[in-house]
Amino acid sequence: MLNNELSAQSQPLEKGTSLTQDAFARLRKNKMAMASLLILLLIIVVSLLTPWIAPYSYEEQNLDLGASAPSAAHWLGTDVLGRDQLTRIMYGSRISLMVGFIATAVALTIGVLWGSVAGFVGGRVDAIMMRIVDALYALPFTIFIILLSVIFGSSLLLLFLAIGAVEWLTMARIVRGQVLTIKRQEFVEAAISMGLSPWRIISRHLIPNVLGPVIVYTTLTIPSVILLESFLSFLGLGVQPPASSWGSLISDGVETMEEYPWLLIFPGLVLTITLFSLNFLGDGLRDALDPRASKD
Amino acid sequence: MANEKLLTVENLRVLFNTRNGQTVAVENLSFSLAPGKVLGIVGESGSGKSVACYALMGLIPSPPGKVESGRALFYGKDLLQMSEADLRHVRGHKIAMIFQDPMTCLNPYMRIADQLIEALLQHKKISKKEARQKSIAALVEVGILDAAMRIDEYPHQFSGGMRQRVMIAMALLAEPEILIADEPTTALDVTVQAQILALIKGLQQSHNLAVIFITHDLGVAAQMADDILVMEKGKLIEQGTTEAIFKYPTQEYTKKLLSAVLTTAKPVASEAKANESPLLDVKNLQVGYASYTGSLFNRKKQFSRGVDDVSITIRRGEILGLVGESGSGKSTLGRSIVRLVDAQSGQILFNEKNLLDLSAANLNLMRRDIQMIFQDPYASLNPRMTVFDTLAEPLLVHELANKSTVLDKVNELMDDVGLDQRFIRKYPHEFSGGQRQRVAIARAIALKPKLIVADEPVSALDVTIRAQILSLLLELTRKHNLTMLFISHDMSVVRYLCDRVVVMQQGKVVEEGETEQLFSAPQDEYTRQLLAAIPCL
Repeated sequence: MLNNELSAQSQPLEKGTSLTQDAFARLRKNKMAMASLLILLLIIVVSLLTPWIAPYSYEEQNLDLGASAPSAAHWLGTDVLGRDQLTRIMYGSRISLMVGFIATAVALTIGVLWGSVAGFVGGRVDAIMMRIVDALYALPFTIFIILLSVIFGSSLLLLFLAIGAVEWLTMARIVRGQVLTIKRQEFVEAAISMGLSPWRIISRHLIPNVLGPVIVYTTLTIPSVILLESFLSFLGLGVQPPASSWGSLISDGVETMEEYPWLLIFPGLVLTITLFSLNFLGDGLRDALDPRASKD
Repeated sequence: MANEKLLTVENLRVLFNTRNGQTVAVENLSFSLAPGKVLGIVGESGSGKSVACYALMGLIPSPPGKVESGRALFYGKDLLQMSEADLRHVRGHKIAMIFQDPMTCLNPYMRIADQLIEALLQHKKISKKEARQKSIAALVEVGILDAAMRIDEYPHQFSGGMRQRVMIAMALLAEPEILIADEPTTALDVTVQAQILALIKGLQQSHNLAVIFITHDLGVAAQMADDILVMEKGKLIEQGTTEAIFKYPTQEYTKKLLSAVLTTAKPVASEAKANESPLLDVKNLQVGYASYTGSLFNRKKQFSRGVDDVSITIRRGEILGLVGESGSGKSTLGRSIVRLVDAQSGQILFNEKNLLDLSAANLNLMRRDIQMIFQDPYASLNPRMTVFDTLAEPLLVHELANKSTVLDKVNELMDDVGLDQRFIRKYPHEFSGGQRQRVAIARAIALKPKLIVADEPVSALDVTIRAQILSLLLELTRKHNLTMLFISHDMSVVRYLCDRVVVMQQGKVVEEGETEQLFSAPQDEYTRQLLAAIPCL
């Protein structure tokens, strides 16, 4: 904020380290978390570049080839319709990661706003907002999705909405709990007594101070969303062929597991590596953001 | 007798390993303790006074702490070399400890009786019945009325002072030869503090105990100790008999500590005008905290009285002291004036406008004129905002500055509170407690308010810092023509700062008057108790 005015200052300013910078310095020392971060970046870059670097087309069938084992032409083999497995995994990662990030972003936005408003305003508003959360919690998720897809047909957009609509509930609860403890602190009272608007207090004083747990929870939400998508595609409610996602690939792989195990192993491996990386990164972030909680 | 020492500590050195390398908590400390004597260890926070004593008891968390070298001879045995089992025997039998916070030292889920008896049975071979009898006797000795009945209650049913008495009883049951008291009265109200100090002194004499009394309060040390050690930053600065230290201090730091003890009246009276209309006029204010009883569908709202029918006036330009112990309603009154808590009835007239009738929009405008300084400088600053952002925010929101003038204004504020302008890009956690409180003061005066409500602004600070902040407050009120409501439990601070004083007890005003008049001729019994409880040098 206002950096240009500060640079006009004649004496050298002593620059402070914010808590966030402090946290990243700690994170950088965590080898597991940094390795995970690198792997994730690699996966993301590959999935972004897929249309240009993929060796084959994801819908190009080669029935003569059939399900072939990994070979020089097809590194990860081909599926029963002769489609290149590597290509399908790369295209699948686009959908899986997109679902993971977008649905989490939806959950994050709704959850943080909902939770911080409920926590800060308190009283009756809080009670009503949190009862709505409770009511939504009570909906059985699978039936909810099946209903939605029966009514609207299955589409990717529906998938985002459905997953986002479920995942924000926990986020809202976490944020509300944090806000309740923080709003008792004197700096929030100081902000109130300065006559700041409630919106400014929430956005400038409350939300920045709950971001720690939120970031950690986010890194743990992304894998669970990716898993949810896999689960839905596995049930045939998510991505429709010829498009693929990690979930739908695994689902296909399971059917032919005994004859062509590579059709299950490779997509499963990629999914597992991604989930592990996200979890390690989340763990690392938690330790970095709250050094007292970690063991050393 | 005189050269026979119970405990001799030689060259004690304690280290802590931190992320930024090693810090020396205690450096080459040597002292000795004679039987039946009270040794006071005095110092500010971070001086190593507690760490030294914890090291003797083997209570330093290791890692990160480490007793690097030194000896502590107790009956010819070195406490620092003892096995954990032997040390536990010493802790239970020979050396007992009482701590600052009696709340966290008692198990909230166990009856007092069980906690006392359990400790006794651990160390002595007696029957449960005998243990109970002994426990009751100990409670009686520390002045708990109806001890035979109260022994079956839980810790939360006791007040802070009573809990500290229970802790002392527990320490006495071990029949120790040395009692280490770590700031045992710091968390207590002043009148209770006086009682507990008298109790410890009495028990020390009747049981012929040797006591190590750790405190930051020179007044308390003067009252309790035969000999005094002064520590600063882990080093021993000066030691001697209490009389010698107080009358003829030789070291600069000791002199600084002594001069920080406020014994004087206010240097210059404020120019308050009695005949003008008062700036703030509180009339018959009632403030309570709501609690709900009854079932879900049949809620009954109940109010517990925090402030009960209080009327006070603050004249323009004066500093009014509001004194009372915890639970007296003084903070609640301050907070309701800033409108952080809602009042149930009464009026708060500020410039003859009733604050309780304002619409939300008008209230936000008015908030500019009344600002608050909080007690805890660690909680009152947003940890994610730089000092610049903290100070610029009120200026920009209330349009007292625009983007091109805000830097000058913030720098001006930094000068006002004596902070270096180069620090404005730093974050609160990079400042010391005193510096943080200066930032909080700068934030409070940023909006050029007419009234400042200061809620115990110096009670979380060390004595030498406290004196600096108080003179800063005096200087600022004069410079900016501020009126202040100064809330405190500390009578000596109030005397130094305030023109008039209001004394509150249990939600009601019991006495008010000009400061010097009230100090020299208190009318109310409670005021007299408060004044008598100031430990004097």
